[in-house]
Amino acid sequence: MAQIRGRGQRSRVGAHGPGHAQIDPMQSKAQLTSQLSQALPVLDVNETHQQLGAPVITFEHVTKVYPAQPNKPALSDVSLQIYAGEFLFLVGHSGSGKSTFIKLLTREIKPSQGHIYVADEDLSSMRNWRVPYLRRNIGCVFQDFKLLPNKTVFENVAFALEVIGKSKHVVRTQVPEVLRLVGLQEKVNKKPDQLSGGEQQRVSIARAIVNRPPLLICDEPTGNLDPQTSRGIMDLLERINRTGTTVLVATHDREMVDNMRRRVIALDRGHLTRDQDRGVYGFDV
Amino acid sequence: MSSIGYFFKESLQGFARNLSTALGSIITIFLSLLIIGVFLVAGSMLENLMSSVESEVSITAYVSDEAPDSDIDRVMNEIRDMPDVASVGFTTKDQALENFSSSMTSNPEIIEQLDGTNPLPASIDIELTDPQSVESVAKAIETNATYGQICEDPNDVADSIKYGQGTVERLFQITNYVRYIGGALIILLIFIALVFINNTIRLAILARRKEIAIMRLVGASNGFIRGPFLMEGALHALIGSLLAVGIIQLLRMFALPQLENAIRFLDFSVPDLVYIGIYVILVVAGLVIGLVGSAIAMRRYLKV
Repeated sequence: MAQIRGRGQRSRVGAHGPGHAQIDPMQSKAQLTSQLSQALPVLDVNETHQQLGAPVITFEHVTKVYPAQPNKPALSDVSLQIYAGEFLFLVGHSGSGKSTFIKLLTREIKPSQGHIYVADEDLSSMRNWRVPYLRRNIGCVFQDFKLLPNKTVFENVAFALEVIGKSKHVVRTQVPEVLRLVGLQEKVNKKPDQLSGGEQQRVSIARAIVNRPPLLICDEPTGNLDPQTSRGIMDLLERINRTGTTVLVATHDREMVDNMRRRVIALDRGHLTRDQDRGVYGFDV
Repeated sequence: MSSIGYFFKESLQGFARNLSTALGSIITIFLSLLIIGVFLVAGSMLENLMSSVESEVSITAYVSDEAPDSDIDRVMNEIRDMPDVASVGFTTKDQALENFSSSMTSNPEIIEQLDGTNPLPASIDIELTDPQSVESVAKAIETNATYGQICEDPNDVADSIKYGQGTVERLFQITNYVRYIGGALIILLIFIALVFINNTIRLAILARRKEIAIMRLVGASNGFIRGPFLMEGALHALIGSLLAVGIIQLLRMFALPQLENAIRFLDFSVPDLVYIGIYVILVVAGLVIGLVGSAIAMRRYLKV
């Protein structure tokens, strides 16, 4: 499970290359002098992933039927592969199975049929006590942020490290770094209700990546945000992807998918209808 | 090790957050354990009382006035050789009268009515090592041939032998009842305490469900998520049981002497070691109740 992160040949590419200059202002805010940023390679924006090596996530004829609706599978015979370092969109109408897809990945639920492999580990036969360790390798971001209202920005992010038993030293070094990366270094002592929606989502992203998971899953990360703020969030996600993190974004946001031209997986009523590199949103409204 | 500190901090916070329910479960545990403790103490007092009563069980074999001393000596020697017999003594007619009149000081007219005659028989007094064998020893004396000749009424030997037949059995019966009732009550109280702890921990879980969801999300291990709740349940139970122990100790120090003063003929003393044992039992029982109660709550409300 340890090796979901981007393969070697990716991280070697252009660590401080020319790609730098054309990156949005957020990046400069992020103070690239920080330890974390130096550790993370910066890639050319136009470079797309190469499907090399073994896939990190494999769905093999996965079907999920909820007991409440035995005749209408939430996911039906879905097979696909996701490679390390990919940035992909998961699109589909409400009820198309996007959330089920994500819940299967974090093993909140088990597939009714088929197998899901994450870094060669079969999730359907995984022992319950191993699940927390799977989740430590998957960062999750949600539409409703899921921040703790009585904790400050710093404490919210630190919480994710504290509860997996990281030392105070790790918390003190990693949390400010990741907050700088998402551009919130000025707001560390604010409570979530003192922040705008976009800022809250940045905190939630910071919390998802503070443990440096190889896979970042975002369920409608911009669902509550205005288009401009959404753009900023997507830039941030792209930047995280360039560090070698695999990013999966479930979204309704047609414009964003069409603009970014990344791999698109489309679900319709539980069926995988399209899997397209550099794809578009594609559904008729 | 650092997570123990975290659990402790979190459980204290949970305590402050749900002060009223926390107090509720502490008081329930405290009262339950207090009653259980009082029962245990009373039970061991009764046990002590029983053994003192039992040790006073002796057999009195009355002897007719005409019995020759040689026969009496022979019977006494034979009884002395029986199993479970601790000592054999002899009470003469005069001594019997003296004992009787000293126990009748409140109504001396009875003695006066005797008019100088002595209707009381002489008797052989047998002390036993084991009160349970009182019956078998009595039987053995009854079948003794020599005693049959010297007893008060040769036609009914058994009538001349007196021992506290019914008393012992009735005492045994009463203590058995006390044991059953106490046992049932203890089970009931433990059940109530479990329900209360369960409820308190459920509320604590509900109050923190957002945090729990995030902990699961970022991959906190199940033990880590459960730890604070187990700690909280154990903490409530510990406080409750310590309160119960404290109150029992106070009762022992201040109320027991009063009771002993009021009822002088009974012996309420219980060895210190028994008290310490009961205190240990209460604290351990409290901890077990707290841990089990919160474990049940977690099974039902905390799917991790």
